[in-house]
Amino acid sequence: MPQPTQTDDAVLAVQIAAGDREALGELYDRYVSVALATALRVVSDRQLAEDIVHDAFVAAWQKIGRYDPARGALRAWLLTIVRNRAIDRVRSSRPSMDIDAADALALLTSGPNPTWDAAVERLSARELRAAVDSLPPEQRTAVELAFFGGHTYREIADMTGVPRGTANGRLRLALAKLRNLLSVGDAAPLTEGGSGPGIASSEVAHGLDR
Amino acid sequence: MNCREVDEFGAAFAAGALDERQRRGALAHLATCRQPHPDARMAPALATVLASSLEPVTPPPALRQRLMETIEARPQEHAAQPRRSVRDAVAPLSPDMSPRPFLGWLPQSLARGLAVGGVTAALALAVVGGSLYAQLRDRDDALRALATTIAAGDAALRVSGEAGSGYLVDRQGTGATLILADVKALPADRLYELWLIPEQGAPTAVGTFTPSDDEITVVPVEDDLDGYSGFAMTVEAERVDAPTTDPVLVAPLEG
Repeated sequence: MPQPTQTDDAVLAVQIAAGDREALGELYDRYVSVALATALRVVSDRQLAEDIVHDAFVAAWQKIGRYDPARGALRAWLLTIVRNRAIDRVRSSRPSMDIDAADALALLTSGPNPTWDAAVERLSARELRAAVDSLPPEQRTAVELAFFGGHTYREIADMTGVPRGTANGRLRLALAKLRNLLSVGDAAPLTEGGSGPGIASSEVAHGLDR
Repeated sequence: MNCREVDEFGAAFAAGALDERQRRGALAHLATCRQPHPDARMAPALATVLASSLEPVTPPPALRQRLMETIEARPQEHAAQPRRSVRDAVAPLSPDMSPRPFLGWLPQSLARGLAVGGVTAALALAVVGGSLYAQLRDRDDALRALATTIAAGDAALRVSGEAGSGYLVDRQGTGATLILADVKALPADRLYELWLIPEQGAPTAVGTFTPSDDEITVVPVEDDLDGYSGFAMTVEAERVDAPTTDPVLVAPLEG
């Protein structure tokens, strides 16, 4: 079954902005399983994760007027809202982020990223997971502590016993490798036995070994 | 933050690994900087990749029902805000009133035309909005963006002139977008430059573009419209700090 495209999402955004509740329901159907996985990974509590996902979709409904398709994908905006809310719940000792501001600014820095957007649309969760798993352990740990743990690079440095510059450097290397890998994937052939274009796990590993 | 710092900490920003002070510093820089800063600008894409790499988790059916019940009772933010009408926006330029100071820069004939014309934009906006909405699936991203902004309740001001016509969409504190149809072609050594005109003082340059063969042209405006009295577009040989020619497209601002 083909995944939704950004074009589909852009149409959906217009419909939601026009007050179409069924369109929000369609957005929910498209992304709730990824959103719930994200929230659950952060908070490790099923009920709390469901509450966070519920609140994130409500926020998307209420704030769709702030969403600008020219700045990025609807899915990225939604998942960033989920992640921000989840981090805010588990990092209570850290000065809380302004959720409203975080929602509004989630895409401020971005334009559409054709390479990554295309890769995410084309690749399965298994393939994306293989890409992330193929990062060197110290880089994957740094990325996961940051994104799913809500830790700053300074905290990551303390937690992993490395200088701050090293922690920051690991994030840079991880991002560079993911970017390279997904760019490699653009030109990859059909996955053997797959139902559509993609990259096989072996190709993922090969790309990351470079 | 400056460009060097944003590049140094761009990946940390994208991964959400900056503290709140640093994050705001990076955001403030990125909001106005035209440098690519590829790591930092990859933040939404990285979020999508990392989230999508997880094993999906099936929600209970009750969660969808709960969501639909919740939004039934929750108004959308933009629906609750009063829409700033185009008629209100152009009212200060009715023929009975003296031209605003910025009109002094404009040719008198154009200023008169501006004062009299374009006041039916509110009606036109509704027609265009409906038309766009009905044909969304066949239009390009630019039209979708326009439809989205109109549907979201952002103010859209009619702009017109010898260069073409269209709408200036006020993103309510997050910038503006100029959307034009059938922009008049220019010689290869010329470009269009956009200006915001304050009540007092010189126009501010807010972007340039060269027209393409596309039917629809979408140009980001590099500043918020707040505090300005007018918008204009001139033809220049290169980006300049002050206009050197008469405007080929104008619109009053302020509601």
